[in-house]
Amino acid sequence: MTEHARFGKSQVRVEDQRFLTGQGRYIDDVNRPKQKHAAFVRSPHAHARVVTMDVSAARALPGVALIVTGAEWAARGFGPLPCRSPSKVNRDGTPFKEPTRHCLASDTVRYVGEPVAMVVAGTADEARRAADAVIVEYAELASVTDRAAALGDDAAQLWPEVPNNLCLDFEQGNRAAVEAAMATAKHVVRLDMGNNRLTAVPMEPRGAIADFDAATGQYTLVNCSQNIHANRDLMASMLKIDKAKLHHLAPDIGGGFGAKNSVYSEPVVMLYAASKVGCPIKWIADRTEAFLSDTHGRDQQSTVTLALDEHGKFLALHVDTVGNVGAACGTMGPFTPTGGTARTTGSVYAIPAILYTSKAVFTNTVQTDPYRGAGRPEAVFHVERIVEFAARTLGIDPVALRRQNLIKTEQLPYKTAVGLEIDCGDFPAVMERVLAMSDRPGYAARVATSRAKGLRRGFAVTPYLETSGGAPHEEARLAFRADGTVVLSVGTHSTGMGHETALAQIAADTLGIDLTRIRFVQADTDATSIGGGHGGSRGIEVGGSAVLKVARMVIEKARGIAAHLLNSHVDDITFKAGVLSDTKTGQSVALDAVIAAAGDTSRLPQDMSAGALDTTAKFERETYTVPNGAHACEVEVDPETGVIAVDKFWCVDDFGSVINPMLADGQVMGGIVQGLGQALLEEVVYDPQTGQLLTASLLEYALPRADHVPRMEIAFFEGAPTKRNPLGAKGSGEAGCCGATPVIVNAVLDALHEYGVRHIEMPLTSEKVWSAITGASA
Amino acid sequence: MDTFTFKRAASVAEAVAAATAGVDAKFLAGGQTLLPVMKQGLAAPSDLVSLARVAAMQGIGVNGGMISIGAMMRHADVAAHGEIKALLPALSVLAGGIADPHVRNRGTIGGSLANNDPAADYPAAVLGLGATVVTDRRRIAADDFFQGMFTTALEAGELITRVEFPVPERAGYIKFPHPASRYALVGVMASKSAQGVRVAVTGAGACVFRATALEQALAKSFTPGALDGVAVGADDLTSDRAGSASYRAHLITVLAKRAVARALEVRS
Repeated sequence: MTEHARFGKSQVRVEDQRFLTGQGRYIDDVNRPKQKHAAFVRSPHAHARVVTMDVSAARALPGVALIVTGAEWAARGFGPLPCRSPSKVNRDGTPFKEPTRHCLASDTVRYVGEPVAMVVAGTADEARRAADAVIVEYAELASVTDRAAALGDDAAQLWPEVPNNLCLDFEQGNRAAVEAAMATAKHVVRLDMGNNRLTAVPMEPRGAIADFDAATGQYTLVNCSQNIHANRDLMASMLKIDKAKLHHLAPDIGGGFGAKNSVYSEPVVMLYAASKVGCPIKWIADRTEAFLSDTHGRDQQSTVTLALDEHGKFLALHVDTVGNVGAACGTMGPFTPTGGTARTTGSVYAIPAILYTSKAVFTNTVQTDPYRGAGRPEAVFHVERIVEFAARTLGIDPVALRRQNLIKTEQLPYKTAVGLEIDCGDFPAVMERVLAMSDRPGYAARVATSRAKGLRRGFAVTPYLETSGGAPHEEARLAFRADGTVVLSVGTHSTGMGHETALAQIAADTLGIDLTRIRFVQADTDATSIGGGHGGSRGIEVGGSAVLKVARMVIEKARGIAAHLLNSHVDDITFKAGVLSDTKTGQSVALDAVIAAAGDTSRLPQDMSAGALDTTAKFERETYTVPNGAHACEVEVDPETGVIAVDKFWCVDDFGSVINPMLADGQVMGGIVQGLGQALLEEVVYDPQTGQLLTASLLEYALPRADHVPRMEIAFFEGAPTKRNPLGAKGSGEAGCCGATPVIVNAVLDALHEYGVRHIEMPLTSEKVWSAITGASA
Repeated sequence: MDTFTFKRAASVAEAVAAATAGVDAKFLAGGQTLLPVMKQGLAAPSDLVSLARVAAMQGIGVNGGMISIGAMMRHADVAAHGEIKALLPALSVLAGGIADPHVRNRGTIGGSLANNDPAADYPAAVLGLGATVVTDRRRIAADDFFQGMFTTALEAGELITRVEFPVPERAGYIKFPHPASRYALVGVMASKSAQGVRVAVTGAGACVFRATALEQALAKSFTPGALDGVAVGADDLTSDRAGSASYRAHLITVLAKRAVARALEVRS
């Protein structure tokens, strides 16, 4: 596999020159002649009936071209926002509840920020003023925003057809075995824990430009989305148009993290409006609008129970969760707190019996949908907190308890009790390596140094596993231009991760050409026929595999052309380092000469014509890969103030074969920082009485900053490449936040152990830590 | 943002006249609060009177144990000023810790004081160091200047021109930032001078205030240990999601000790 030789090399990102010099092209950089601007009227109430809507004053304002109300939207008969949850069946076999949610609400609003009307005007300012002049009379209804409260008999009911707001009553695993083990085990430990509600806060807010060509009936949507092909199909279906009539594309996207996966209302209404007003329509969300209307993540409450025998061996695990899915089903609906969390429950541990039960509930909040990891970080958090808690409760060394229960290498392939098939890895080796990196012998001295400063130091190690996800199939296309440019088109989507470099590396290395010759095209329904976009850490694993496949197909074709040019037999042609050679005659021809010949039918074999080298390939993975690793960290806690500083951080990740270690480092770092945010800082808060969003700005929603972030020592374990794709790669994008969140929380609780503190709910704010210390010692 | 008339004043008198002439005129002294508020539609002044070219509001002068800072000096100017670093490092540290570099390069001391945000840093400096606010018409002692949430002794159209800080024997400032906004959840300036001990607290209440119980304890001994067991009452303090009143009260004593410790570390 000579073409693999140059994978695994760090390569500075080719897109960075553009991004770092202000040359990136984001939605707001795109402008169309004669464009108008949209603004949305959004519900100020968490739950209310829409009594009347009066648009007459708004319509009379300067520049107003069109107002689309919820009533008009309903009357037009457009399809509802779709739900594509893979988990759809209740534990009793009945289907889940999927209430109809339209792009614009007409009779009832169910969360603060839900759109009820859209205004189109000449400028963004005019549109905003007119939207503010739309007079909506609401009759307020009782609301509920809390996940657990929503199930109560006295809770506000969002949908008449959904008793107790229960969207999906989910169960996976072996109930009988778990119950039997729990009944007889020597030790059963139980802990309640939440996964705080988060919002992604991508640097670039959502936005779009919708256009319609009346002459051809063609719609064009330039959209700040990370899921171009799938959402094209869904939006076309909602608008009841042929999907071929909707060209959907994204320019550079400034961060997604899952929040740009879903089908959103705004672009759909804008497409309709563009056909009505006959000019392009642009909309860019402001930051408050992003907080209100971007899909949120996590928001689960779980009771986790672990049964152990007298030697500390794990016997059974039960996770029982309530997951908040928001006011209605998002595009992935109830999947994250149900199947999305269930699939990796138990993580890297050999646990003979596992039961995952959960209730997905509707509340008066914006929809939750995939957020970096989409259930896998939650699953790791559950097991890592209960293992730490069990170790403390039973007086066992937490590292030893983990070591004892890891799935051993000789047990692989291993099918977990929830059905996850782990093909390869070496969990003990990975954990031992991170322990070796983390200077255990020097720890006691560091504890003493911290203590001398009045601080308490804590340590934790957390192995993790997750799975890749997202659409299983992908398309890649290579086209060769006369000027030497090689156009690489893929259906995956980088929202900043560096595919323009990493995927191009695969193509360039395989073809033996210079990276700079590749022009990268992504996120465009005109460029590839299918595309899975961004999600589930699939970019390299599925997209990269498609690129490798198409590049190899090109080489096969090139061998045929070379044989023709050299008067050889194709079987005698080999390809190496950009040169095709006849092993018998010793004659050779450079790939570039073959590329040139491929543009000229007269120089090609009879069955080929000009452009013969241009090739499209589809790759479909059979099953997910299982990225895994182990994180370790040390924290310092100031017991006087409750302030936590993450001082040291080490991790070892098994991503199989790593294409570009520098980019993989970046993925890991970003994931760790996001995990740190969940552990220590971030929380979306709705007022429990009014349902108002209290964290609707960056003055209130605390994101991690550079000074929160420790130096991270990152290493890759490459001893277990997967055979599930030709690259041997396992997804790397979401791993960081799987390990970081529990390892930081566990390290803080280690630091606080002397105070008798055993658990603090995330985020571990300084006041919570201080209260736990003073409460425990009081 | 609504439309407004932009005026650029060349002198204090011209600025005050322009402000008085407008229906609802505002001075523009950096605009790091005013402009975002206008963009959000929460303020719509008829006139903005820019103070950027008023020479009398510029510059930093040191004279006989007094530091005089022009009201239009930006936070970054104060933070970087060599003589302030040498004579009153607590003020450099405070100015260098306001918001972010973007704000520090636009926001001004006069603008911050006139706004009197309950969680701003400069009010703690002025009150905790016993400074004098100089306006176009009078001199206002720090103890008289801050009157309540976003409220000061300034009259309509009155313009802060300079702020005069006496150089104390010792001073230290410690800020506990709000995790999201980085405003002070609690900020404490402690100082000792011939006139006595001052401990000013920002962020914890509706307006910057002096923590008299802490001042009394420190007057006996200006050491962190003097504050052992000295509690601040939580009754009038702010309670919000970022910190309850009792947490803020606890932090005031902790931060005051650290401010004193820092004051003793460096030669004022």
